[in-house]
Amino acid sequence: MVQSDAERLSAGVGGALLEARRLASLAVGAHGRRRAGQGEGFWQYREHLPEDGARLVDWRRSARGDKLFVREREREAAQSLSLWIDPHPGFAWRSDETLPMKAQRAQVLCLALAIAFARGGERVGLLGGPMRRGSRAGDYLAEDLLAPQSSEPPAPPSRGAAIYASDFFAGPEAWRARLARAAAADCRGALILVSDPAEEDFPYAGRTQFRDPAGGKSHVLIGRAEHARDAFAQRLKAHRAQMHDLARGFGFLFFAHRTDHTPAPTFSAVLAALAGHGG
Amino acid sequence: MTIGPITFAAPWALAALAALPLLFLVLRATPPAPRRVIFPPLRLLRGLQTDEQSRERAPLWLVLLRALMAALMILAFARPSLAPNAEASGRAAGATLLVIDDGWTSAPFWSEIRAAAFDAVAQAERANGSVSLLLTAPSLRPRDPAEALTPAQARSVVQRLEPHAWRPDRSDAAQRLAATSARFDRIVWLTDGLARPGDEAFDETLSGRGGVIARVPPQTANAVTGVRIGATGVEVDFARSANGAAQGAIAAQTADGRSLGAAQFRFGNGERATRAVIALPPEIAARAARVRIVGEQSAGGVRLLPGGADHPRVGLADEAAAGQPLRSDLYYVERALSPYASLQRGGVRALVEARVRAIILPDQSTLAADDLNALERWLDRGGLVVRFAGPRLANQAGPPLSVALREGARNLGGAIAWEEPQTLRPFETTSPFHGLAIPDDVFVRRMVLAEPGAETETRVWARLTDGAPIVTAAPHGQGLVVLYHVTGDPEWSDLPLSVLYVDMLRRTLAFSGQGESAAQRPDAAGPYAPALLLDGYGALNAPPRDAISVSPDLFSAASAGPRAPPGLYQRAGIAAALDAAAPAEALEALQLPRSVQRMATDGPRTRPLTGLLLGAAFLALALDLLLSLALVGRLPKLARAGAAALLFVIAFPAHDAHAQARTDDPTLILRLAYARTGEESTDRTSRDGLAVLSAVLRQRTAVEPGEPIGVDLARDDLSIYPFIYWAAPARPQRLSSDAIANLDRYMRLGGMLLLDTRDAGRASGNTNRPAAVMLAGLNAPPLEEVNTDHVVARAFYLMRAFPGRAARTQLWTETGSAAAARDGVASLFVGNGDWAAAWAGTAPVSARQRELSLRFGVNIVMVALTGNYKTDLVHQAATLERLERQR
Repeated sequence: MVQSDAERLSAGVGGALLEARRLASLAVGAHGRRRAGQGEGFWQYREHLPEDGARLVDWRRSARGDKLFVREREREAAQSLSLWIDPHPGFAWRSDETLPMKAQRAQVLCLALAIAFARGGERVGLLGGPMRRGSRAGDYLAEDLLAPQSSEPPAPPSRGAAIYASDFFAGPEAWRARLARAAAADCRGALILVSDPAEEDFPYAGRTQFRDPAGGKSHVLIGRAEHARDAFAQRLKAHRAQMHDLARGFGFLFFAHRTDHTPAPTFSAVLAALAGHGG
Repeated sequence: MTIGPITFAAPWALAALAALPLLFLVLRATPPAPRRVIFPPLRLLRGLQTDEQSRERAPLWLVLLRALMAALMILAFARPSLAPNAEASGRAAGATLLVIDDGWTSAPFWSEIRAAAFDAVAQAERANGSVSLLLTAPSLRPRDPAEALTPAQARSVVQRLEPHAWRPDRSDAAQRLAATSARFDRIVWLTDGLARPGDEAFDETLSGRGGVIARVPPQTANAVTGVRIGATGVEVDFARSANGAAQGAIAAQTADGRSLGAAQFRFGNGERATRAVIALPPEIAARAARVRIVGEQSAGGVRLLPGGADHPRVGLADEAAAGQPLRSDLYYVERALSPYASLQRGGVRALVEARVRAIILPDQSTLAADDLNALERWLDRGGLVVRFAGPRLANQAGPPLSVALREGARNLGGAIAWEEPQTLRPFETTSPFHGLAIPDDVFVRRMVLAEPGAETETRVWARLTDGAPIVTAAPHGQGLVVLYHVTGDPEWSDLPLSVLYVDMLRRTLAFSGQGESAAQRPDAAGPYAPALLLDGYGALNAPPRDAISVSPDLFSAASAGPRAPPGLYQRAGIAAALDAAAPAEALEALQLPRSVQRMATDGPRTRPLTGLLLGAAFLALALDLLLSLALVGRLPKLARAGAAALLFVIAFPAHDAHAQARTDDPTLILRLAYARTGEESTDRTSRDGLAVLSAVLRQRTAVEPGEPIGVDLARDDLSIYPFIYWAAPARPQRLSSDAIANLDRYMRLGGMLLLDTRDAGRASGNTNRPAAVMLAGLNAPPLEEVNTDHVVARAFYLMRAFPGRAARTQLWTETGSAAAARDGVASLFVGNGDWAAAWAGTAPVSARQRELSLRFGVNIVMVALTGNYKTDLVHQAATLERLERQR
């Protein structure tokens, strides 16, 4: 049972990974960081030039030949990208079988971004999880996604970038606290709001009982749902604006995405914005 | 309980109607169940004020519908029934006497009678009364009319009641009733509507015992009173009462129920008897075993023809094929028996092997040893030999014989004879011929004489007036040998010229083919034993085990009744019939005294309404379900689908859709196609050119194409067009990948594409080669120039060149090796003739050149349709030459 669940889940994540790879391939040349710089890791040996001081000579390498070599280190990425996908049951929801779940779409977007960033040499990881790097970062991250995530995002590593994918229905106060934590770690990033078309268009009619996706008893009963459409749209708009303002206040970018649209434009926008933002 | 014409079997259920207002209130307060959805932004919905939210009541019309549904159910459970005659039955408390005429005259409408009986029983049941039964048709074990049955018992008795095959005897019934002292509150008489002797006494007896309601059928039964096989077919006589059906149909059937023929009978206005003839050839008519009124099932509508019941196969031993028919024994036997038997001529052994049931031996002295052996073995197994005497037998009598014969023949009358010609003595009762009338003019002039003796005496079937045996019979093993002591032809006696001869032969043949049962052959003097008996509906059934035989003395005088049930009887192997309707059957309409209340048998009946009400309630339930769905908001999808289906049905009625499908089906009509290039003038030229070519094809060839059609190379299904003409536009474009795939598939399937670059005779050497552009990307095969040996030059017309707008054109086609997969049939032609323009006549060409270009068009269409069929002709010369060389 557990194994079959895991297989099903991993199949889902595998699909998301494939889709994310395809999406990430759109970001050709958007991110190139492979150059020598101040860093920990070895980058290359190069011949010693007259303008280099004697201090830079790597004697161990130079002793093996007649020429002098300089050991260069890779320029360390200034950014690490942390991802958080809302584990709330309401996020793993879709209004129609033909649509992906909001969480699935968020996974695709986040994985694609992670792959693109990892290709740029940066470290990526889930919030609270290990940071991955290199060409296989996407695979590791997909594995990490299988593990249950904490419902409350931990503080991101300092001076990194963070992406929060959610429907932000937890309320502005909760998010104010979360973003404040991120800001305290000197972390910037983006909020990606993934919404189902039913949540925006409110296609319900007739006597309808709206129930909490988390289960529980709480529900709202509306006699004629079609009459509540406008009021709901206004509230939704207000909610969006509130989240937008909140994000901007903490230095986060705000993106909205619908699951019935293709993820490519959102991906490109987030990638471009983050690349410009952080690096 | 009865309200107007409606009675309620369980009236207490109606009390529940009082609870309806309460139900109404409860329903009103209960809103329909909401549709449940999971909705993540639930927080945003909290506290949302909508004007409808407070209205948590079911709409009034829905509540009314549900209350109506409940009311219908309550009414249904009260088991109501609509009984228009409930008023009449209202006073019928207590005992009911049910008088039923259960003769065959009731059989045609027995279901109505039974239903009326059930109705009367049901009324008695409602009144808590008892039911007595008086059945007017005589029976061996009559029911006691004084016996009071409960309605349930009465119902089961009526359920089992079937009409008898004889008519009611009301005076007998009156006596039975008179023997009791019972009195009844109500008497229901289910009559057959026909008068019988003793009706007045019967009416009186009934009226003396209570109020009588007579239920009279609107139409009484008809009877077949006679049937005769005449020269033109089967003649049938009918009788009816004044209320009988004025017309109908009669059918003649064989013993196994196959229909031989039918006719209509029609009574004139006021006529009571009529006759119909079922026109049949005599030999067919002779096979009729019964006639039956079609569509009226009663024993009186059936007449039995016992003679037709049996149709044995009889062999005529005819070794020499006698030359003179009128002087041959067998000629007379054949004429006599052909209506009653299927006859076969042949040698004795052949007949034995053919398994005939009787063999007739003409005058013959001794049989060949082989024949005799075969015949005797066959006789031992139960065969029947009918032998005729004659000069040869008189000379020397060889077996098989029934009695020992004296040598020589006895002469009666004539110049040197002492005795006068004699006639036959009336048949004794022990004889199978008993009952046959002997004509006065049958004289026997010569005969063979049996040796007198005790044994001979027991074997005589017929004697002359002086006692000399003329027909003798003796068992042989299980079989029988019958000897006629005269010739089969009129040489020795007048017998073969009389009807008696036919009857005697038939009765003799009745002994044929009885095989093992011959030992138990019924005693000739025995009674008539029933073989098949008619039931009241006129169906023939095997007699019950305790069936009564009828003595011969009574049989002819017997009329149908419980002691002589109508049917087919057997006596001494002879079938006889007793019919339900006598030849002079009197069918008179029943006259009822004024005191008797009259009602039709199929009059108003009690109809239970429970099912109707329950059905209505469930319909309301279904409607309620739909409306509830609509309220919850789930209906729109259903409604849309339903509306779409409805629209579809309205928009495309079945026959229209069919017609449309026929005309739209592109596979039904052959069409020449041209590729649409997007250039108006080019396409128009192509279409006009192909239209002219189509007309030419229709006129000159067996190909009859329809209007040409433009196809989109990228989108259309090309496989249905055998030939596509593709004219190069002024500015050729590369094909889209869809079009390339489509064209590749088309050519692979064996379609034909003629690509016309239209640049013949123009300045050559221009770098803009349209074909290269148009075919770019296509899986184009290697091409070769078409010469006059190619099939396209021979397919219909013989051509040396393929002129189009220009007299000199080039035409290239797929090489044979490239087209090997399609048996060498090229699927691509590329040329520059601008043929469409030449065909259409828009190009300035001479009439001759236009004709030649059209011939090319005919040829290429032929190639498209017939492939390499004409390629053989291309090699004809070589083939002929080779054949010549081989010779």
